[in-house]
Amino acid sequence: MRMNKNREIMIGLEVHVQLNTVSKLFCACATKAGEPNSAVCPVCLGHPGSKPVLNKKALEFGVKLALALGCELSRKILFSRKTYFYPDMSKNYQITQYEIPLGSNGHITLDSGRVINIKRIHLEEDPAALVHEQGNVLVDYNRSGNPLCEIVTNPELDSPEEAREFMNKLVNILSYLQIFENDSIIKADVNVSIKEKNFIRVEIKNVTGFKEIERALYYEVERQKSQDVMQETRGWNPDEGITYSMRSKETEDDYGYIIEPDLPFFTFEQSFIDEVKKQIPELPQSRAQRYVRDYKIDDTDAKIIAYDLSITQIFESIAKKVNPVLTARWIRRELLRVLNLENKPLNETPITADELIELFALLENKSITNRIGQQIIEKLVKEKFSPKEYVEQQGLGKVSDESELSIYCEEVISNNPQAVADFKSGVEKALKFLIGQVMAKTKGKGDPVLIKKLLEEELK
Amino acid sequence: MSVIKFVKSVKEGSIDVVKNAEKAVLESKKINSEYNYFNAFDETALAQAMIVDKKVRKGIAGKLAGVIISVKDCICVKGVESTAGSAVLKGYRPLFDAAAVEKCRAEDAIIIGKTAQDEFGFGGFNVNIGNGFKIPLNPLDKSRSCGGSSGGAAGITQKASFPHLAIAESTGGSIVNPAAFCGVVGLCPTYGRVSRYGLIDYANSLDKIGTMAKSCADAGLLLSVISGHDEKDSTSSNNKLQYFEFKNSVKGMKIGIVKEAFGEGVDSRIVDRVSDAIRKFEDKGAETVSVSLPTTFKYGIPTYYILAMCEASTNLAKYCGMRYGAHSELKGMFNQYFSAVRTKNFGAEAKRRILLGTFARMAGYRDAYYIKAAQARTRIIEEYKQAFKQCDVLAAPTMPILPPTFEEISKLTPLQNYMADILTVGPNLAGLPHLSLPCGKINDFSAGLQLIGNHFEELELLEVGNAYEQK
Amino acid sequence: MNITKELVKRVAQQSRLDLSDEEVEKLIPQLKEILQAFSEIDKLDTKNVEPSFHPIEIKNVLREDKIKEGLSNEDALSLTPHKKNNYFLGPKTL
Repeated sequence: MRMNKNREIMIGLEVHVQLNTVSKLFCACATKAGEPNSAVCPVCLGHPGSKPVLNKKALEFGVKLALALGCELSRKILFSRKTYFYPDMSKNYQITQYEIPLGSNGHITLDSGRVINIKRIHLEEDPAALVHEQGNVLVDYNRSGNPLCEIVTNPELDSPEEAREFMNKLVNILSYLQIFENDSIIKADVNVSIKEKNFIRVEIKNVTGFKEIERALYYEVERQKSQDVMQETRGWNPDEGITYSMRSKETEDDYGYIIEPDLPFFTFEQSFIDEVKKQIPELPQSRAQRYVRDYKIDDTDAKIIAYDLSITQIFESIAKKVNPVLTARWIRRELLRVLNLENKPLNETPITADELIELFALLENKSITNRIGQQIIEKLVKEKFSPKEYVEQQGLGKVSDESELSIYCEEVISNNPQAVADFKSGVEKALKFLIGQVMAKTKGKGDPVLIKKLLEEELK
Repeated sequence: MSVIKFVKSVKEGSIDVVKNAEKAVLESKKINSEYNYFNAFDETALAQAMIVDKKVRKGIAGKLAGVIISVKDCICVKGVESTAGSAVLKGYRPLFDAAAVEKCRAEDAIIIGKTAQDEFGFGGFNVNIGNGFKIPLNPLDKSRSCGGSSGGAAGITQKASFPHLAIAESTGGSIVNPAAFCGVVGLCPTYGRVSRYGLIDYANSLDKIGTMAKSCADAGLLLSVISGHDEKDSTSSNNKLQYFEFKNSVKGMKIGIVKEAFGEGVDSRIVDRVSDAIRKFEDKGAETVSVSLPTTFKYGIPTYYILAMCEASTNLAKYCGMRYGAHSELKGMFNQYFSAVRTKNFGAEAKRRILLGTFARMAGYRDAYYIKAAQARTRIIEEYKQAFKQCDVLAAPTMPILPPTFEEISKLTPLQNYMADILTVGPNLAGLPHLSLPCGKINDFSAGLQLIGNHFEELELLEVGNAYEQK
Repeated sequence: MNITKELVKRVAQQSRLDLSDEEVEKLIPQLKEILQAFSEIDKLDTKNVEPSFHPIEIKNVLREDKIKEGLSNEDALSLTPHKKNNYFLGPKTL
């Protein structure tokens, strides 16, 4: 790792994500449960005599992620026991991977082109959830044993903004691979150091959520600039928005790692690795670049479309049949808008590529106006129908009959004297208003370009 | 009466299962009041007997129909206090049966109770008992040790007048050691042969569940029931031991005599008896060859103890007064609370091993102790593998001494205690099946003959042992 | 091998064991003797020897990603008095 001599800030991340399996990492309890302590068994409760058995799917997901991040996969992996005492630990040791990670030496490239190296990724089990009461803690073991994947970067991030971008890209890849619950929370331990204080490293443990991670980083950088800095571990208090020193006694414990003797070692055949590789879709960054290069669409549109796997897939299906630039624009501005309004992901609506191909084709050959297009897409998100048939049945084709439109223009002009006066005195907005009024009379079907021309002629 | 004969009689209808169970429970409790072999009795024993009785009458009873079985306290029996001999688990009644216990129940055995042991298996004389527990007394001489850590299991196996089998456990020799001291057969199978699910861990890469009985055939019968793959234990083997008919012959068998096991440091009377036994095999047509295991004898003890203590110190971390077992009033910060519960409820040897095990895996010491011991283990395993190229079975004394008195034991340092394992740590480290059987009397006691087989070759061991028994 | 009082106390703290000064004094010679004996393994040549963490080779044991019924909330809580509503109760952390 080369140090950029001009670096002011050094940030490294240890990100914990929960893998999207139905059962826990080492036992068959559900990973999702309602009532506290309702998805528990002797294994995740740490009952004496219970033993772990590794979840195959969790291992596959971990391998998938390692490969997607360009890591070298360890050919033989082992699990380790990390021993420390805390009320959220069902065995007072965590089964994790210390000696040999699942994968190492991967990377994520930021938009600026900077490459952030990923030191290692590994699997480990989640501890239980603590609810802090006044005094004693309440413990819920539903979370105990949930499958986590830890991703560790080199301390190469230059700023909280870069850290945020890195997190975004990481989460995007995770969603693409479909190994991560979109709703589930990301946690991270972050380490921060600044040049002014000789890069003395401070670790902030257990920051929950994107926003908090960025907030904590901003705060800590400022704090380090304005205070004495010593090498220590700090916690993040989201309510007060500050980091605080954690009693060093608690963090001094030696973890005393040993190889987990209740688990075997695991090896990966080349055929298995190849199979998993096949399941990895083209990732968002390179996909967006391809769209710009091959389809000549706008860079921002490309990134936004490539961000979501289902959106990107529907885009590619449609772009085979309809002009990609138009497709991209309509997906980005209209489809995403209505999905947002409905608060539903694409796969929870009746929309398929077929409907959108029809709709975008109508727009492409100018058979309908944009306004009508918008109305149709708003309806498509709620019910399944053929846009082509709908337009025919409802008579929604674009109205380009000059005589018909002229009549509407005259009506609008005579009914809106104020707007006419405004336009004549140079207010551009007034024309837009008048066009809108005519469009309303045509129920959105009027050709706006033609309407504008007719109005301008009329008002001369 | 042998257990095999007992089962036959039960199925033929000539033995009343319930009456037998009643008598056995009474006798066990009487013995216990004198000898301290049981930490707990299963109060459902008679209810179990009644269910088995019904099945016997229907002709559908299993391979262990009506057989009385004792279970070492570290092996979980659902609803019965299972403490592994430690105060830290006093009152703990597991919500599940260990896999081995489940298998016994499926064959209609009757579980009567949990046998005494050194706390968590930490000992070779069963004197390292947990706070509040009693030391089991040798069935042949009450002033002497039963051996350990499965002292109670060996004691009751010798003392019971009713047909009985013991489920026991070995980490460094805890099955064959007490078997030798109490004059019974102890069979410790290959690592992974019997599921460890439900075994309260001492050291996970060393723990093995095995059996004790008055004969090799009976010990083998129980092993054939409790062995087999268990999906709940990732280290359990797919290799199931099938029950078998003995050939009653050792003709053509090659027996390797372990040179270092017959040297100074082993009581000469024991050397004599074991050598006699080996000569008997030669008379019966077996060949003998001398085998040397220098690495095992020089480095076996430290290798075993380092690995065992490292693993044990992590296994015992879970005992902290939360969720189950011994606890205190919840006051103070969490570290204070944990320390209070642990300090109060662990015995001296348990504390010593936790300290040593924690130390040996601490940063800075880990490479020299934990990793080095794991490498030493590889060399020891290789040494045994080489030995098995020359012979089918290895023979040696089980213990270097006769059962000592409690007074003699009290004068030993902890290290001297550990050294008594010198003859048994080898097969335990290497996960090799081994058994001990009595072979020649010395006063009230018998010398223990230890036979060691290659991985998964329990049948060979039982063949040889059984052949010896057929005098 | 220098076994000091401080070292013993540190390891004890690490293991969550409270030792009295008397106990520490008693332990030091015992631990010294034991660790001295343990250090014998230094003499064994283990160059290029792979460590064995199991006595036999065990690999690739995996479980299908399926849910199985575990313990009821009631059963899980039945083994301790330290509970409240549906939660386990543990000692203070703050």
